[in-house]
Amino acid sequence: MIYLDYSATTPVSKEVLDSYIKVTKEYIGNPNSLHSLGTRSHELLESATKQISEVLNINENEIIYTSGSTEANNLAIIGYAIKNMKKGKNIVVSRLEHPSVYVICDYLKTLGFTITYVENTKEGLIDFEDLRSKIKDDTILVSIVAVNSEMGIRQPLKTIRQIIKKQNEATILHSDMTQAIGKVNINMHDADMATLSSHKIYGPKGIGMLYKSEKINIESLIKGEKDSLRSGTPCLPLVVAFSKAIRLAITNETKNESVVKMLNDKLTSTIAKYPKIMINKTNYSIPHIFNLSLMSIRPETFIHALEKRDIYVGTNTACSKGGPSSTIIAVYDDEKRANTSIRISLSHLTSFDDLNKFLYSFDIVYNKLLELGDENE
Amino acid sequence: MKMNKLIIIKYGELTTKKGNIKFFIKTLKKNIEVALTDLDFKIEYDNGRMFISSETLDEVRDRLKYVFGIHEIVEGYEYDSIEIEDIKENLKSLVTDKEIGSFKVRTKRSFKAYPLTSMEISKILGGVVLKNAASSKVDVHDPETLIDVEIRSNKSYIYFESTPGLHGYPVGVQGKGMLMLSGGIDSPVAGFLSMKRGVRIEGIYFESPPHTSEAAKDKVKSLTRLLANYSGYIRLHVINFTEIQEAIYKNIPHEYLITIMRRMMYRISERIAHKNNAKIIINGESIGQVASQTLTSMAVINEVVRMPVIRPVACLDKLEIIDISKKIGTYETSILPFEDCCTIFVPDHPVINPELEKCLEYEKMIDFESLIKDAIRNEEVLTIEKDEKKFEDLL
Repeated sequence: MIYLDYSATTPVSKEVLDSYIKVTKEYIGNPNSLHSLGTRSHELLESATKQISEVLNINENEIIYTSGSTEANNLAIIGYAIKNMKKGKNIVVSRLEHPSVYVICDYLKTLGFTITYVENTKEGLIDFEDLRSKIKDDTILVSIVAVNSEMGIRQPLKTIRQIIKKQNEATILHSDMTQAIGKVNINMHDADMATLSSHKIYGPKGIGMLYKSEKINIESLIKGEKDSLRSGTPCLPLVVAFSKAIRLAITNETKNESVVKMLNDKLTSTIAKYPKIMINKTNYSIPHIFNLSLMSIRPETFIHALEKRDIYVGTNTACSKGGPSSTIIAVYDDEKRANTSIRISLSHLTSFDDLNKFLYSFDIVYNKLLELGDENE
Repeated sequence: MKMNKLIIIKYGELTTKKGNIKFFIKTLKKNIEVALTDLDFKIEYDNGRMFISSETLDEVRDRLKYVFGIHEIVEGYEYDSIEIEDIKENLKSLVTDKEIGSFKVRTKRSFKAYPLTSMEISKILGGVVLKNAASSKVDVHDPETLIDVEIRSNKSYIYFESTPGLHGYPVGVQGKGMLMLSGGIDSPVAGFLSMKRGVRIEGIYFESPPHTSEAAKDKVKSLTRLLANYSGYIRLHVINFTEIQEAIYKNIPHEYLITIMRRMMYRISERIAHKNNAKIIINGESIGQVASQTLTSMAVINEVVRMPVIRPVACLDKLEIIDISKKIGTYETSILPFEDCCTIFVPDHPVINPELEKCLEYEKMIDFESLIKDAIRNEEVLTIEKDEKKFEDLL
């Protein structure tokens, strides 16, 4: 099997899985129980959280565990909007967000919020001038993804936050850092709230977190305990595994990135030789995500043909099956390009041998479908 | 010419203790080595200063803030020339184009045969600063920047800013004390203050399972670990007090529960102290804070031991104690809500002015001696290290 869809999800690393299993078997107490089993679990929970806070350079009380990125995005945007609606009801988002953000915004519209979209440059970067003009007195929150999931475009969050604060000191920045952590150097303090997920960094599915600066207040969405921003028995094995996954992701980031960079160079130079294929990449795309548009071939057909050869790549993001890529529309404003894109996402686990095998199969599948493809055009 | 960035440690109070100075400095050096144990570093020292060089000076500086016996932590530059022309050149390269503001150059020569006096050197070097810094003016009374220059027999040093150290004596120079740890706010502060005076502490904790929980014991362990930040490690003696506690509860009039209980704890503490070469007992009693801490109570309780009992917080107000506990990082842990030995068998009306005769009479009702021996025989001894890596295999 050749897996090249690491931005959709990653396999759980062995060390992380070992911790998950061990904690599941040996730490059966509820961290909230009074007896020693509970205390032991509670201590482990605290140690795991402490480790995350140290690795990410944030405080322990700034970490809220969620079921994943989608829930963290919900908690951040809806939770902040509801708690702070007296300050204003305008929210600004980019056109490069994860689909969940747009669904959240649609919901907020039904509550009377207005949503403003900030434009991006041809390179996919947030247009600073446009951002400046869109931050109004009633803009309470801006949400901008740190690394876009389809084209891997990385935003200069620090600058973005400075621009926002200069326009309106009270406006806060939320950033979905799901695709950024472990791939590029991240600083949580570039945002006031940030979303992270475990299953994109070789951790188990079912857990993510919201970093929320202690300076800001949000409303919980899941009620059950007084003063808790996310009620429910904490899932200790997931928290421990997540903590370990974050530590490994941050520690090995530079090393892993250099491997992926080499793979990407090889991929780019080879795919560039296909005259009809458009490579969707700007100067700000990170090497882990490689996006191309087949133009004259339907991506679904292409993906299934590769699948027959035990090769797995992605279309847009796994979360928006079918539709045209909103990111590619936002960057290139080209329907066809957006309708025929596929995403190859790389990992330090990808070997050059795998990549060569992929390129070999790619060539065969592409040429074969191209002959038929003219009919689809 | 070689330049070396390093940390210079000034000893402070140590330098006044002529007779013991070698022992004091050696102990400080050993304590610093323990604090820096997993780092690469090199220590050189003489009777006036200690010089630490390392690739990770920031981390070294952070850790030195937890070592007693340091007056000042200074980051500076070391040069292997003492020629005045070289010193001028070195200072020039450090101040050129820098915003110095008002300043004063302070020179110290431990190399007394140097051809220039301290005053002369300061004057010459002040001229260098005035000429080269972006903006500067001399202010010998209240300077914004203090520039220190030191000339020793074959090396010169220039340094600008310093961080205050914890002061006090190096932990261990005064021998050992046995700290009665309850898990509250006061006893960790008492431990901290005695370490400040050079006492190496061991902790003693009385548990009464099932009346006290494992969580309460863990809390005491956490507090010990926080205190160990200041001494590298602390040995903790855990005494199972259940049988004694229950015997007291069943046999003694309840208004005397606390008095007798404290007398038992003192007896055991003294014996554990003797066994471990500790010369004093330390606790967190504060005059008048609770019934067992009135002067009469203290006298009646203290009567069972011959060893000095030091009460570092005896004369502090509760708020003053809380301030210190916040400063040393134990407060947040101390206020966690777990029942300890003292809070569980609390009578409604404890006696405020206990009488010694009554205590002696009541104690005759039980064979305490054998219970005490049992408790001591079954003591559990833990060595608690600072920032112990918990759950390392899982995380």
